[in-house]
Amino acid sequence: MEAKISGLSRLGSAISGFLAVIGRFFAEFGTAMAKGDLFVKLSLILWGAGYFRRKQYVKAVLMTLLEIAVIAFTLNFAMAYVPKFGTLGTVQAEQVFNIQTMQSEWNDYDNSFMILLFSLFSFVVWFAAAVVCLRNVVNAYELQKQAQCGKHINTFIEDVKEYFDRKFHITLLTLPALGIIVFTLIPMLLLILVAFTNYDQQHMPPTNLFTWVGLSNFVALFGGNITSTFGYAFVRVLGWTIVWSFFATLTTYFGGILMSLLLNSKLTRGTKIWRTMLVVTIAVPQFVSLLLMRNFFANTGIMNTICAKIGLTGFLRSIGLISTSYIPFLSAPIWAHVMIILINIWVGIPYQMLIATGVLMNLPTDQLESARIDGASPFQIFKSITMPYMLQVTGPALVTDFVKNFNNFNVIYLLTQDVFVTTNQLMANSQAKEVDLLVTWLFTLTQDYYNYKMASVIGIMVFIVCAVFTLIGFNFMISGDKEGTYQ
Amino acid sequence: MKKLIALLLAAVMVLSLAACGGSGTTAATQAPAAETTAPAAAPAAAEPIALTLWGAEEDQALLAELVGRFEAQYPDQTFDIQIGVESESTAKDTVLTDVEAAADVFAFANDQLNDLIAAGALLALDGDIAQVLPAYADKTIDDVKAANGEGAVAAASKDGTLYAFPMGGGNNYFLYYDSTKVTAEQAQSWDGLLAAAEAAGSKVGMTFASGWYNASFFLGAGFVTDMNADGTTVMDWNGTSPDGFTGIDVVKGMSAIAAHPGFLAIADGDISNQIASGAVCAVVSGTWDAGAAETAFGEGYAATKLPTFTCADQQVQMSCYSGFKLMGVNAYSKNSGWAVLLAEFLTNEESQASRFEARQLAPTNLKAAENDAVTSNVAIAASAAQDVYGSVQNVGGKFWDPTATFGQMIANGELASADDAAIQAALDTLVEGVTAPVE
Amino acid sequence: MTNRNTEMNMDLNEKAILAGRKKKNLRIFFHNALICLLCVIWLIPIVWLVLTSFSAYSGMNTSTFFPRQWSAIHYVKLLTPDTVNQFPAWFMNTFKIACWTCVISTLFVLMVAYAMSVMRFKSRKGLMNFGVLLNLFPGMLSMIAVYFTLKTFGLTNSHIGLILVYSASSGLGYLIAKGFFDTVPRSLCEAARLDGCNEAMIFFKIVLPTSKPIIVYTVISSFLVPWMDFVYAKMILNAGISANYTVAVGLYRMLDKSLINTYFTQFCCGGVLVSIPISILFFIMQKFYVEGVTNGAVKG
Repeated sequence: MEAKISGLSRLGSAISGFLAVIGRFFAEFGTAMAKGDLFVKLSLILWGAGYFRRKQYVKAVLMTLLEIAVIAFTLNFAMAYVPKFGTLGTVQAEQVFNIQTMQSEWNDYDNSFMILLFSLFSFVVWFAAAVVCLRNVVNAYELQKQAQCGKHINTFIEDVKEYFDRKFHITLLTLPALGIIVFTLIPMLLLILVAFTNYDQQHMPPTNLFTWVGLSNFVALFGGNITSTFGYAFVRVLGWTIVWSFFATLTTYFGGILMSLLLNSKLTRGTKIWRTMLVVTIAVPQFVSLLLMRNFFANTGIMNTICAKIGLTGFLRSIGLISTSYIPFLSAPIWAHVMIILINIWVGIPYQMLIATGVLMNLPTDQLESARIDGASPFQIFKSITMPYMLQVTGPALVTDFVKNFNNFNVIYLLTQDVFVTTNQLMANSQAKEVDLLVTWLFTLTQDYYNYKMASVIGIMVFIVCAVFTLIGFNFMISGDKEGTYQ
Repeated sequence: MKKLIALLLAAVMVLSLAACGGSGTTAATQAPAAETTAPAAAPAAAEPIALTLWGAEEDQALLAELVGRFEAQYPDQTFDIQIGVESESTAKDTVLTDVEAAADVFAFANDQLNDLIAAGALLALDGDIAQVLPAYADKTIDDVKAANGEGAVAAASKDGTLYAFPMGGGNNYFLYYDSTKVTAEQAQSWDGLLAAAEAAGSKVGMTFASGWYNASFFLGAGFVTDMNADGTTVMDWNGTSPDGFTGIDVVKGMSAIAAHPGFLAIADGDISNQIASGAVCAVVSGTWDAGAAETAFGEGYAATKLPTFTCADQQVQMSCYSGFKLMGVNAYSKNSGWAVLLAEFLTNEESQASRFEARQLAPTNLKAAENDAVTSNVAIAASAAQDVYGSVQNVGGKFWDPTATFGQMIANGELASADDAAIQAALDTLVEGVTAPVE
Repeated sequence: MTNRNTEMNMDLNEKAILAGRKKKNLRIFFHNALICLLCVIWLIPIVWLVLTSFSAYSGMNTSTFFPRQWSAIHYVKLLTPDTVNQFPAWFMNTFKIACWTCVISTLFVLMVAYAMSVMRFKSRKGLMNFGVLLNLFPGMLSMIAVYFTLKTFGLTNSHIGLILVYSASSGLGYLIAKGFFDTVPRSLCEAARLDGCNEAMIFFKIVLPTSKPIIVYTVISSFLVPWMDFVYAKMILNAGISANYTVAVGLYRMLDKSLINTYFTQFCCGGVLVSIPISILFFIMQKFYVEGVTNGAVKG
């Protein structure tokens, strides 16, 4: 509860901080517009004006070119898509065959998806342009003030030098930020918008158009009548996703620590060789190793052959644990759940072991020594020295791991795709399986059923659930801001 | 901060300028009408006719050869035909992700036809486009329809319109058996098969957890599946069939088979592996497993139509979905005229004969099918014998998951001990899921 | 520790020492036996992979652990391209993509990490929080949008497109590297600044040279991505030109229903051949990798 409150207050301060930044931004702009001279005011329309007045000609030219680029972008590109954003297109594709050219001739049809994508793209560019434009006025005003006080005004070379010193972060962040905007931010915003449209198999571009439908997809998920079973499947898939993330994270985390303690113990001979053997398992691509595992544990696989030979299958049958002539390792709900977590331990421990090895190298040895001299048992040492240290150091990583497992596509997909057939008819009616994570479910929905609208709704839910867990997790794990500790 | 944004924007600008350049090409693909008017005068001379073609991995060598022959047939045209690999069973997934980028001509299995048509990915071949055949290939679309088997044409059509050229048949399933363990007479019924398998210490394998396979029981008992205009599936399996059987009867018959110690439920996609591993003495599969079955059964290799099963104390012949391999033309193909000619060429009598030689795909072309080598092929003969009982597969996307689950429940024996009401409830849920509105 | 105890107890009678040694040896034995057992469990699937790749049978053998007949024929087949299998080309493609991804990702990660760790500017905290938020959204979902973005720039079916997909957003994964940079003493940077270095020089001359472990860590993790991904690659390389595939797409295709019986063993051979270079890379870089991941994960 306490964590929740502090989490909320953190969130609150983040939001108010954000609002303060925006407020300051507009205040500065307001002052500049009120107190600036003609050229400052003019630079709202002609971006280079302010710099021109202060004889920063290169900058003036560059800003004017940038302005021209924005205008060209708007006229040539954005205007073809943004006006259709409200309807997402109205012109259906039509074609006529021309025997003369042996080609099909198309009308100038709309593609709802492209309208959505390019409109978003335009919005992002315009947003950036607006910020630059306003900021530009403030800059011009700063220059005016400097000139009025008779201070030195930077030459272009000096301005450039700034970008390798005081403003080096801008130089560093530009390209990565651009990559993130184009390949993560815009796609993410786009799919969030899709949740409010009817983009599904009946409305697939380019042949068909889709359009805005408001909140009806969310209504459908939470017990509406359009897809009566989606809500049913969602609750179950979400439940398993949380259980899975919880166990997958904790088992590999503690397993990794134990494995590393075992390997780095003074009793171990040949630590490096053992460690290398474990690390080899990371080097085999998962789509190879997990597919092999899947065959290994198949209903007719090696494991079942062995179990049948040693009589385990018969024993399990006799005590009523299984009703089939094989052990359904990966083909019946509870069995598959347990097996998936076990196999994930196999996948995850070598990696966690490497992390734990490094962290434990830095474990303060004096504490250990004194504990030993006091006669503490290995378990007590583990409980009261090793673990608290590990948790303190790797706590945040634990939270990120949880989120990663929440969206762990590979393990579940490779182990259960084509093998696991649900026997829960209601799940099947919404294309879900008991072993599906939210992320594999939405993958099936998009890849096999082209149901992008519901997949997007589920994606937003994943986002919300992850955000809640992250917020709680970080507040539990991080006692304070440790950033400064080592500096 | 200000400079961060300024720089960021500058970079965005550079990219967006590139985007402007890019958008030029996008606009071109979206509205080719504008630029296609120009070369109309001299279609042959200027640039080569660019076409892309997707076929199965096992078809690649053959396609290269056939494309060579196609180009030779039109010596006054220059072609640039790219052949790509796309499995016939998954073509739909790749095509529908981005129809405009998909190949002009592609091969696919007929179960994907409805989805492809719904997404507008297939060019209707009866329309204006049909004039290219008399103009360049000296035949009409009706000649093509007449040259191929009725079933194949029906499987490539929807509402009387032909949407693809039949390329091969025999994409249904029938019974392979080892005649050293199972006699031809025993292979006529599930009862005989299962008894023989138990006696031989072997198994009879079939996939229950797939609607494509388990429908054979229901269709055999007279039930049907169909599709509405809006893409939803019609299914009557929870009622009583015209033949007088109830869905409950069929489920009980299937449950009895599943419970038999001589039966092996095989996961979808695992069949050839099970044949090869020697676990079965008889198995329900299709022509694609002919090689595996021949190797595994050796001397005893034999194939026949599907057996009968016991339904309400009667022997009922199992049906099947008749499956075909089709060659379709992308509706968004730019050079659609030549694409149609290429697709037709790749599925004509000679091409089908070559394809039979290359990969034993049963021809749908009636003349090509008369070939002795075709009629004497064990698997193809069995497939044809089963096809007599087959019906065209007309189902929507929602058919698959619920039917797979239903089959899995029967295979697991979950409905074996259930009373009639529970079976009926399961059937009702199945039908509800299958007939749910498409979205 | 135990050693020192025995030394300290030298003056005790010999019997006790002997008994102690015996007990200790026994403990060592069981301890190592346990580790050995665990390693065997971990290696079983890998051993099975290697064994299967030497089978003479081309289809999937799921009923016996050891192949019935041994042969290296499938390695030969794998290295001789046919219409389905173009392994040498796939390997080169993936290697090329992996190298580029590795360079770009490492640069991006180090750049963002340095800015977020060493430098102080107004919107730093805000950007970091925003980065955390972006990581929460399932990337699987936005695949289709990424695909059409690439298509707009004409980069589908091109390796440049794939490199971009793997590396463009890599800046978001800066946390571990930031944690590492946080441990670089600030006094070093201050001293350099007094000597007249600007930020860029501090970055290149002070921080980067001391960051070998984290660079190795980033290099290895980003190098691995193209070898493992089969979802994005399959979507972007959709023209069906087999010679353009990456190893993951190509090998995954071998599992197609109609191919698995002919290509399963070759698939296993491919798995082995891919993991050999990666294993060697890990083996050589193990020390740095451990240091990098720990110093970073720790304080991230």
